[in-house]
Amino acid sequence: MVAVNLEHRPRRVLTGNAAAAYAVRLCRPDVVSLYPITPQTEVIEQLEKFYADGSLDCEMVTVEGENSAQNVVCGASMAGSRVFTATSSWGLAFMYDAMLQTAGYRAPVVMVNVNREPPGIQSVCSGQQDMIATRDSGWIQVIAESVQEILDLTIMAYRLAEDYEVQLPVMVNYDGYYLSFLAESIEIPTQTDVDAFLGVLKQQPQRPVLEPGCERGVGAHGLGAGFVELRRKHMAAMERSKQKFDAIDTDFGESCGRHYYGQIETYRTDDADIVLVTSGSAAGTARTVIDAKRQAGIKAGLVKIRMYRPFPKERLALALKGKKAIGVLDRSVAFGWDCGPMHQETSALAAKIGCMPILGFIDGLANMDITKPHIERMVDDIQNAALGNDFREVTWVASGE
Amino acid sequence: MGGKVKKLPKVTQFYRNEDQFSPGVAFCSGCTLELNLRFISRVLGKDAVFVGTPSCSAPVLNGANTGAWHKHAHYACTMTGVASSATGLTRAYQKAGKEATVVCYTGDGCAMDVGFQPLSGAAERNEKLIYICYDNEGYMNTGIQRSSATPLGAETSSTQVGSRARGKTTGSKHMAMIMAMHDIPYVATATLSHLDDYAKKLIKARELAKTGFVYLHVFTPCNVGWKTPTDASIEVCRTAVRTNYFPLWEAEHGEFRITYKVRNPKPVSDLTSLLGKFRHLDDGQIAALQNQVDKRFKIVQSLCGTSALPH
Amino acid sequence: MALIDVKIKPGSGPIFTTEGPWSDSSTGTLCLPTGTWRTERPILEEKKCTYCGLCYLYCPPQCIHAEAEFFTIDLKFCKGCGICAKECPTGAIAMVLEGAVADGSG
Repeated sequence: MVAVNLEHRPRRVLTGNAAAAYAVRLCRPDVVSLYPITPQTEVIEQLEKFYADGSLDCEMVTVEGENSAQNVVCGASMAGSRVFTATSSWGLAFMYDAMLQTAGYRAPVVMVNVNREPPGIQSVCSGQQDMIATRDSGWIQVIAESVQEILDLTIMAYRLAEDYEVQLPVMVNYDGYYLSFLAESIEIPTQTDVDAFLGVLKQQPQRPVLEPGCERGVGAHGLGAGFVELRRKHMAAMERSKQKFDAIDTDFGESCGRHYYGQIETYRTDDADIVLVTSGSAAGTARTVIDAKRQAGIKAGLVKIRMYRPFPKERLALALKGKKAIGVLDRSVAFGWDCGPMHQETSALAAKIGCMPILGFIDGLANMDITKPHIERMVDDIQNAALGNDFREVTWVASGE
Repeated sequence: MGGKVKKLPKVTQFYRNEDQFSPGVAFCSGCTLELNLRFISRVLGKDAVFVGTPSCSAPVLNGANTGAWHKHAHYACTMTGVASSATGLTRAYQKAGKEATVVCYTGDGCAMDVGFQPLSGAAERNEKLIYICYDNEGYMNTGIQRSSATPLGAETSSTQVGSRARGKTTGSKHMAMIMAMHDIPYVATATLSHLDDYAKKLIKARELAKTGFVYLHVFTPCNVGWKTPTDASIEVCRTAVRTNYFPLWEAEHGEFRITYKVRNPKPVSDLTSLLGKFRHLDDGQIAALQNQVDKRFKIVQSLCGTSALPH
Repeated sequence: MALIDVKIKPGSGPIFTTEGPWSDSSTGTLCLPTGTWRTERPILEEKKCTYCGLCYLYCPPQCIHAEAEFFTIDLKFCKGCGICAKECPTGAIAMVLEGAVADGSG
């Protein structure tokens, strides 16, 4: 007689926000802090619903602001808890001092950030500027493209953050409105799947935790060489997290039946002449455009950046090396560089990939749709540059240039 | 002089507990914070988990690389995050079923200014922890700047005295009363000249923190900032109590009680004359300060009048 | 358990064995020679002492220790603040300038 696991994975129609909440519940957090902000609020409402109906057994802390939301989870994490919180834009900015602490303390906090334009120009709409504004916070930052990926990535985030060789907070980003409120039919891993997937963490050495009477202190002053040492350890951990992320993705595929290729996903890049680089929900649109362009005889490919911090420079360089021209689609700006941030960072790989034209496209700010015609035009511009013609280095597609 | 008394004050029983702090730590000579911290540690016990922040206490509470100045479990955080970090700790321990006494230990600058929001939030949620605010009426570690605890007329480096200005132009927040309006199990004021009273309040705090939020406001003069000699610390505390400038009271589940009766309160000038930071006060300023002291005490008194507890 | 040996100077080991900024007091605590700060030291006149314990109670570094019938002052850590002398009800403690007292006395 063969024992067969008859637990089938249920399918549900869920919004991106709800998917994040379902993922968190499966990961069995100990302490969750909640504060509402559009377009994330549904995440915490769903979690509170799980708590109220008894299916989520944790300490729920309904804090009075995002700064407290972060400090609560950092403190709880350093005391040994698995934690979660969610925020967006303004809230992300408000918790910035606490985020620096979380990263510096090496607390394995998992946080959802639903991308929305931050304060500066008042708006309640989608944009990646919020996560870009925290790119030097020392956090690992990953980006989801679809509702299914939101759920899967949030589960993987725990495995990554709490890995003994990583011990870093992970921010799971996804586009506000385009993904937060989009409802898709998705498959949900079972509790058994997730317990097993995260269970491997228990077999690792355990990080130090703060307990009454433990004769230890968190947040020692770093003095001189001690400070430098901690910084270098942090940097080294970020480097290690890249390969870990790839390995965890493979493992997730084996446990739960889906994988996403780790730090970046390459689509039809092997024999491509030109490559478009982007992230988030725009990648979904871009994939269909790449297919259409291929039909039309243009050898185009796509790279989707899934891990933004640390920047996946090795694998990206491998994918882009020797191409005739590259384009990078940003959903934000790099102030002071007159281009988008992912364009700026990809350009830094020039020494490794060659001196081909690297075009920048800024689109999708403030909930202005990145449409198929927009991306078709981007591919055309990249192809034009690949053929040796004059090209514009940065195009504000959002302005109709 | 008669024979030896041979009986130590009852409160010294706590000194039989081993001092968890190193004998040589970086507090100023005569600093009330040193006495305060060592005293709290001895009364609450070695398992108390301290949460601290950049302040005069940070060089003692925080580690120096891997070295530490004390044996308590300690969590350092930003001034904006004390009560919220402590919330994270206490909730983590509750989830894990671990008994713990989490103690926030900050100055007035943190509690009343930059860290007030999370403090108020944690109190409203009735988090199970003790928040001890040591009130030296200013930001001392950064060189004596005014905070919302600095009294009317006081000289600080950000409220200086010159031809145009004569010290702080507004009075201080009545912090202990603000916290008492948060519907929490226990709020009390205390100071270092009345250690018996303080010890009783710490013991009560430890018990009641098992049920919810406890706030203690402790009057701790700063000799450097207030411009007093190093030996004046205890005398200043005592005078503050005797002038009703800092009355000793508690509110247990909303029932107010004065814990140390002052029969003939002295004029506030008895206190101001001791302190260099008030050296420049003119009669008008002293009168205004006396008025504030009287008004504040009347509020405390009237709340005690509604109390069911004996007073 | 150290994950990475970040050698700042050749030959020296890592300062932190943890990834994050943890201090450790399990093997002992740091200590400053705070007795070197003072300019005055307390001198206790035993025959005036009534053993009331106020000096013991109020000493901020708590370097006054209670023996069975008398107090001793640990001069290694006394910062010379003078609170003990000020609070003593019988004037049994006097603050005397360092240098006015030969080493070993008091």
